[in-house]
Amino acid sequence: MKLTIKSPTRLLKAGLCMVCCLMLHQVSVFAQDTAATAKQAVTPAKAKPVKNTFQSVWIIDNQTVMVPVKGTFEMDIQHRFGTVDKGYSDFWGLFASSNIRIGVGYAPINNLNLGIGIDKFDMLWDVSAKYAILKQTNGKYPVSITYYGDLAADTRKDVGNALFAHQTDRLISFNQLIIARKINDKLSLQVAPSITHQNSVQGYYTKNDSTGQTIFQQMKHDHFAIAFSGRYKLGDATSVLVNYDQPITKHGTNNPNPNLSFGFEFATSGHTFQLFMGNYTMLNPGKNNLFNANSPFAYTQADGTKVKGGKFVIGFNITRLWN
Amino acid sequence: MKIKLMLTTSVFAASMVSVAFTTAQQPKPWPVPEKNAKMANPVKSSKESIAEGKSLWNLHCASCHGKTGLGDGSKAAQLKTQPEDMTKSALQAQSDGSLFYKISEGRNDMPSFKKKIPEAEDTWNVVNYIRTLKK
Repeated sequence: MKLTIKSPTRLLKAGLCMVCCLMLHQVSVFAQDTAATAKQAVTPAKAKPVKNTFQSVWIIDNQTVMVPVKGTFEMDIQHRFGTVDKGYSDFWGLFASSNIRIGVGYAPINNLNLGIGIDKFDMLWDVSAKYAILKQTNGKYPVSITYYGDLAADTRKDVGNALFAHQTDRLISFNQLIIARKINDKLSLQVAPSITHQNSVQGYYTKNDSTGQTIFQQMKHDHFAIAFSGRYKLGDATSVLVNYDQPITKHGTNNPNPNLSFGFEFATSGHTFQLFMGNYTMLNPGKNNLFNANSPFAYTQADGTKVKGGKFVIGFNITRLWN
Repeated sequence: MKIKLMLTTSVFAASMVSVAFTTAQQPKPWPVPEKNAKMANPVKSSKESIAEGKSLWNLHCASCHGKTGLGDGSKAAQLKTQPEDMTKSALQAQSDGSLFYKISEGRNDMPSFKKKIPEAEDTWNVVNYIRTLKK
């Protein structure tokens, strides 16, 4: 008797055989992987955080995600000249009244940097703390995250309490979470949401309309903002920097303007020099976010007043590292 | 009075000549502990390692040692000690461990790079780059 094998049955058997082979292969691959993992477990290759997402702790008016290595002492000298819109008459703001900040920072332990500085505007003293929470690590963390906090005190003389009803009204606090990614060797990007708190708002205004009289606070105590920053390296020591700060909170009046800044960074072993143009003139992140009156763009106010844009100032940051 | 003036002028001229002919000191021998000199380089020389080393060289070293390691960087003339020519066999004959030690520890004009280049791997990258400077 002739043995006949039906075609569908043969196909089914062949298919089953293939699946079994693949599964066996998979098992053997898994077995190899497990063996390889076991070997790696003996001598684990520890993934290291990416280096030099930025060259400096500053990116124009904002802090970068970088925290100096333990034991680093840093000195900052920052300068913001007058607005460029007067042209030659004050040499594009270079001969106008300028704002200056001198500060120092020290990293007492790994991932923590503490700073103190004084700013000419409002004789503003500031103390700051910066802590690296996460560091971008290939296969582990896609971004670096750093916390930055700053507390500033206006130390101007106030005869007869004309400026401040209470001493605590002198204080402004700024808290920011900085999230950054080194995209490649040349490009690094950063986004940094922040909240600024002012103890004393500027006062009240009254609105009279058909519904009657309403009293509003000029500004809220808390102000949210977000900063976007980027660095593109042109060489080992030279980079292009761009920065944009967008206010989020809407206040009754005195809404601050956004800030657009751009410039170059030149680095050496112990210094970084940043030369740029931007809208921020104050040298404190809280003050800048709350009170920036210079707008990069033209806009129309609620009462119909047209405000010119292009209010830029030239500025520089110099940092000197001792480590 | 004239003699006094002449004397003063002569002393000034002599001091100027002596300053003019003063050259940077030649490097003194720099002994490296045997343990450090024998330390093996754990970072294999590769395209990536050399690129990383070059980047660090340009940032930290080139201002004194020169772009190509000839010791002719823009700051070299201000130093008390003339930076060694890194392209020559005298330097290239040194072990990787010796170069690593000297970069890390520093001496006189040469600063310590322990904190400036905190990762040991990066210092080895610089050593690997220095090897490419040989002529």
